[in-house]
Amino acid sequence: MTTTIEVPTATQVHRATQAGIAHKKKARASRALVLPALVFSVILTQVPFLVTIYFSLLNWNQLRPSEIKFAWFKNYAVVFTGPDFLPSLFATVVITGSSVILSLLLGLFFAVLLDRKFVGRGLARTLMITPFLVMPAAAALIWKWSLLDVNVGMVNWALHLVGLSAIAWNTDLPVVTIIMMLTWQYTPFMMLILLAGLQSQSREVLEAASVDGAGPWRTFQWMTLPHLRQYIEIATLLGSIMLLQAFDPIAIMTKGTGGTKTLSYLLYERAFIGLDVGQAAAFGVVTVAVTIGVATIALRTLFKVFINGGER
Amino acid sequence: MVRTVISALVIVLWCIAPFYWMIVTAFRDVGFTYDTTPWPTHVTLANFETAFSTALGNHLGQAMLNSLFIGATVTVVALLFGISAAYALARLEFKGKGIISGAILAASMFPGVALITPLFQLFTNIGWMGTYQALIIPSISFALPLTVYTLTSFLREMPWDLEEAARIDGCTRVQAFRRVIMPLAAPAVFTTAILAFISSWNEYLISSQLSSDATQPVTVAIAGFAGSQPHVEPYTAIMAAGTIVTVPLVILVLIFQRRIVAGLTAGGVKG
Repeated sequence: MTTTIEVPTATQVHRATQAGIAHKKKARASRALVLPALVFSVILTQVPFLVTIYFSLLNWNQLRPSEIKFAWFKNYAVVFTGPDFLPSLFATVVITGSSVILSLLLGLFFAVLLDRKFVGRGLARTLMITPFLVMPAAAALIWKWSLLDVNVGMVNWALHLVGLSAIAWNTDLPVVTIIMMLTWQYTPFMMLILLAGLQSQSREVLEAASVDGAGPWRTFQWMTLPHLRQYIEIATLLGSIMLLQAFDPIAIMTKGTGGTKTLSYLLYERAFIGLDVGQAAAFGVVTVAVTIGVATIALRTLFKVFINGGER
Repeated sequence: MVRTVISALVIVLWCIAPFYWMIVTAFRDVGFTYDTTPWPTHVTLANFETAFSTALGNHLGQAMLNSLFIGATVTVVALLFGISAAYALARLEFKGKGIISGAILAASMFPGVALITPLFQLFTNIGWMGTYQALIIPSISFALPLTVYTLTSFLREMPWDLEEAARIDGCTRVQAFRRVIMPLAAPAVFTTAILAFISSWNEYLISSQLSSDATQPVTVAIAGFAGSQPHVEPYTAIMAAGTIVTVPLVILVLIFQRRIVAGLTAGGVKG
């Protein structure tokens, strides 16, 4: 974590050059060993997408299997002019955007909480990350039944305690339900990245600030937040990419009703309920394009880190 | 002190309460489904029997074995290819390294939902629908980018001088890697294995379309759960099934927390 802000020293550069020369000698033998794995990785991760692009250019509905033919960009025309696309894009933006912002804020709150020393901090941190690692399908069920159900849900029980009537979250407020669930799930991820950022902050600088009379809030605002900037960026970008793909909670809790039909759920519906392979594939390509739009910015940041091994 | 109490309270409410409520419901008699007493009442194990009852159409036991089998295979294959690929990316110089790293990194951001159409067609054509390999191969392609980039960032920090030294002493590159680097890299490999396993264990989307009753993993099994009485929503049995699949994972996380945190931040912060 600390290496992220280091500049490569002269010795490191020298060593890298030396290593480069040494590599060339036995490079062929090692390539023969290692490249098949790389090729396999690339094929397995890239080919399905190429096939999707090909399918998106076909006129192919499974209800009419005899009419498969090449249709150029007809499916895209249907996607962009159809009545489903804009509402779905809107739903995607609302759900992804709110979940990212909320989980980032909560993540920051928990990261600050866990950055302090207290008894059982390790245990608390572990418990904090469980929502991110627990099976999303099971998490969706916990939320659907255990927390939000009208009759037996904990949230409605708590509402009842303070004298409010139960809310049928799942059917009355489906968008809120999905956002709550996704926020719960992704807060730990945001927290981990931000906590790494907090812990890489120099203690001396913070102490110096407090000696100079800066209060905790001013220190946080002027020292900690600027320091966290790059971590917040990375957390936001990775979080957006993962949340754009969120599918399990929507499939299990709302089935795309009430404004929760995001691009990924719409695509699923086209493929498996509409049985239109060509259109579904076109939606897939559009979804990927949206994700890539977000990811390009992420890639630019991450790429440097990935290639240079944490030195930039 | 006050700080400790407040922190503890917030964290308990945030992460423990949902699980606690699930466990309490899981042990409650089905006749008292609508009882919302916040502590265990009418304790029974019957819900767990319902959850495992094949007579009611719940294949939880089989599904857990399927998930274990799929997860183990995916982890082993992804690690075999992941270690070699990560070694190449962290240690060798070759043309197109940047493009390959980029392609693998991009694949980890790829929405899985875009793949189900071609996969469905492909597996129908070659008669693989509902087979284990139809679930394992896509899962590998999801686990592989994660494996490669987590391992690459770990391997980059290995003391490669030692490997050079071993080679000067007469080891081949493979020997040097196996005898010097592998033992040092073992914790990183183990961390990656846990993450790869969790990613496969949690996979729902692809499996929900490509599995059959016999091969369905536990994610699919609990999503389509049936209860002992046809007209009552099987809350208690669902919660029992939920308890069975989440509690082991929570324990796993507690045991390996340090490694998991290291792995998640290596993949996240360092890309």
